[in-house]
Amino acid sequence: MSAAIQCRDVTKSYATGTTMTPALQGITLEIQPGELFMLVGPSGCGKTTLISVIAGILSQDGGMCRIFGEDLKSMSDEERTAFRLRNVGFVFQAYNLIPSLTAAENVSIPLLLAGHDRNEALIRANEVLRHVGLGAKLEAKPAELSGGQQQRVAIARALVHNPRLIVCDEPTSALDHTTGGEIMALFRREVLKGDRALVIVTHDSRIFHYADRIGVMDDGRVVRIAHSPDELELETSKD
Amino acid sequence: MGVYVIALKMLIGNRGKFYAMVFGVALTSLIITQQSSIFLGLMSRTVGFIFDTPQPDLWVMDPKVQFVDDVKPLQDTKLFQVRGVEGVEWAVPLYKGALRARLPNGTFQTCNVIGLDDATLVAGPPTMIDGSLADLRRADGVIVDEAGANGKLAKPGATPTSPRVPLRVGDVLELNDNRAVVVGIARATRTFQSQPVIYTTYSRAMRFAPRERKLLSFILAKVRSGYSSRDVALQINRQTGLAAYTAPQFKGLTIRYFMRNTGIPINFGMAVGLGFLVGVAIVGQTFFSFIVDNMRYLGILKAMGANNRLLFHMILLQTVLVGIVGSGLGMGIAALTSILAKNSELAFYLPWQVPVVTVLATSLITLITTVASLRKVFSLEPGIVFRG
Ligand SMILES: Nc1ncnc2c1ncn2[C@@H]1O[C@H](COP(=O)(O)OP(=O)(O)OP(=O)(O)O)[C@@H](O)[C@H]1O
Ligand SMILES: [Mg+2]
Repeated sequence: MSAAIQCRDVTKSYATGTTMTPALQGITLEIQPGELFMLVGPSGCGKTTLISVIAGILSQDGGMCRIFGEDLKSMSDEERTAFRLRNVGFVFQAYNLIPSLTAAENVSIPLLLAGHDRNEALIRANEVLRHVGLGAKLEAKPAELSGGQQQRVAIARALVHNPRLIVCDEPTSALDHTTGGEIMALFRREVLKGDRALVIVTHDSRIFHYADRIGVMDDGRVVRIAHSPDELELETSKD
Repeated sequence: MGVYVIALKMLIGNRGKFYAMVFGVALTSLIITQQSSIFLGLMSRTVGFIFDTPQPDLWVMDPKVQFVDDVKPLQDTKLFQVRGVEGVEWAVPLYKGALRARLPNGTFQTCNVIGLDDATLVAGPPTMIDGSLADLRRADGVIVDEAGANGKLAKPGATPTSPRVPLRVGDVLELNDNRAVVVGIARATRTFQSQPVIYTTYSRAMRFAPRERKLLSFILAKVRSGYSSRDVALQINRQTGLAAYTAPQFKGLTIRYFMRNTGIPINFGMAVGLGFLVGVAIVGQTFFSFIVDNMRYLGILKAMGANNRLLFHMILLQTVLVGIVGSGLGMGIAALTSILAKNSELAFYLPWQVPVVTVLATSLITLITTVASLRKVFSLEPGIVFRG
């Protein structure tokens, strides 16, 4: 089976005034379908930039990045948007649910964007919300939900249209340890189904053990790939 | 379709901003509708008398007359000259002048006196409320307009505090020291001057008016069938030296005079323009900050796969809703005031063009607002979704 994500020598710089800040300095990486891949590393090392390229919301400057075999850089903005709609789900640190909508309405958005009928979308949203354990909160507004519950809604929203890739930036860092663990368990149980790939950026070492592989970044590069947190600690303690 | 429900919920969910925007549009359309209709009301009042006098084809007058109230008297002989012009079927004299009426309580009120041709009574009031036009033929008869009879010419009540008693048929007035008996009450289109209007016969008007060499104000002429009003007007001018206008021409002359020589158009134009600017400012500002508030969510929608066209439609729907609710409210209030003001001194004239113009103006505001916010949304990088 071909890789879900295939990056080779990916570079990206941000223009700040007259100077260029290099954020990615040659990333080469493969992520397989059905894999939970974590990206870790110090602040400013380029994790968010990389995940943005992987999710197709940012174009790299150099190198190649294929998502399910497609080169998003060669697509028009319109085509990229349509590609994301079909293939990518997002989960954010700050949940980013629309405050005036109910949980079910928030979850239904990707389906509505894809042109599904509102009732049909809500039925499917309710179903997914039940799967993430929020069957009792279908009509609740985000403000009426706890952080963990809001993140469950966000996960349901990322899942509802059944994308092949889900990207998450710091999904647990706003949550306490227990809730974070529950969210990660949910990721493993509900999200990682079939050949779906899951990329999670995190600082939170307490959740490292949920990963299949961990990519350690530093200064715009992936400096090593670990298969377990123990491997990481071993290497860290060696330094 | 479901996304549009989302767009509406996002809009209405932000209650404070939603109300502020609706208020801005309502205020704008209220100002625009109201000022335009007062303007049109005033302008149509300037030609109220011409409007009320549909019988003649031509209004003949001194060439220096600039508007309907600008009376420059003619010699009586001009009437016979006009009657002698080929193509004139009939021509009648008309007196129009301001005379002082003495009220029973001893105070004076200037009235606009119209003297109608004794034989035909052409140019009489359009609607009689009490009595009939023919009653003018009774001795000392005058017909008073309703607004004057109920207002400026009303008699004081029995006690100083009791309401004034409207002038009624049978009441007696003194016009320039001449006895005048009210034989009818009429309804006339309000004119620019809010003075009472008194109709009487031409010969009686001559008696009421102060002795002067010339008293004939206008000659009203009918064009014989088969002749064009324009040709006959030209002939009248050639043979008598007088100006002859059709009713639309005379209305145009009068309105142009007021447009050129009064501050009315500028004042109202400024009020309307200001209303528009207020609208752009309030609505534009609020909507813009609504968009900024929602930038994060718009970015998320974009990341999740909403393209620019869809976002444009969502934003357009939001502004259009604000536009419809706001202008509906504003025009509703304006229409209500115009209904309430129907019988007052206020000039309101709300033809269908006014709401159309208002809707166009609000649409323009909406469009400006939408376009201004769109630039921001289109240039929005979906990448912002991952930033703190
Ligand atoms: N929009 C931007 N404009 C300019 N520079 C940027 C922008 N976004 C990121 N950078 C810079 O690029 C580098 C990588 O940033 P990035 O956000 O990818 O790091 P990160 O690993 O996600 O950090 P953190 O753990 O703090 O979220 C940093 O030096 C950052 O300052
Ligand atoms: Mg980051």
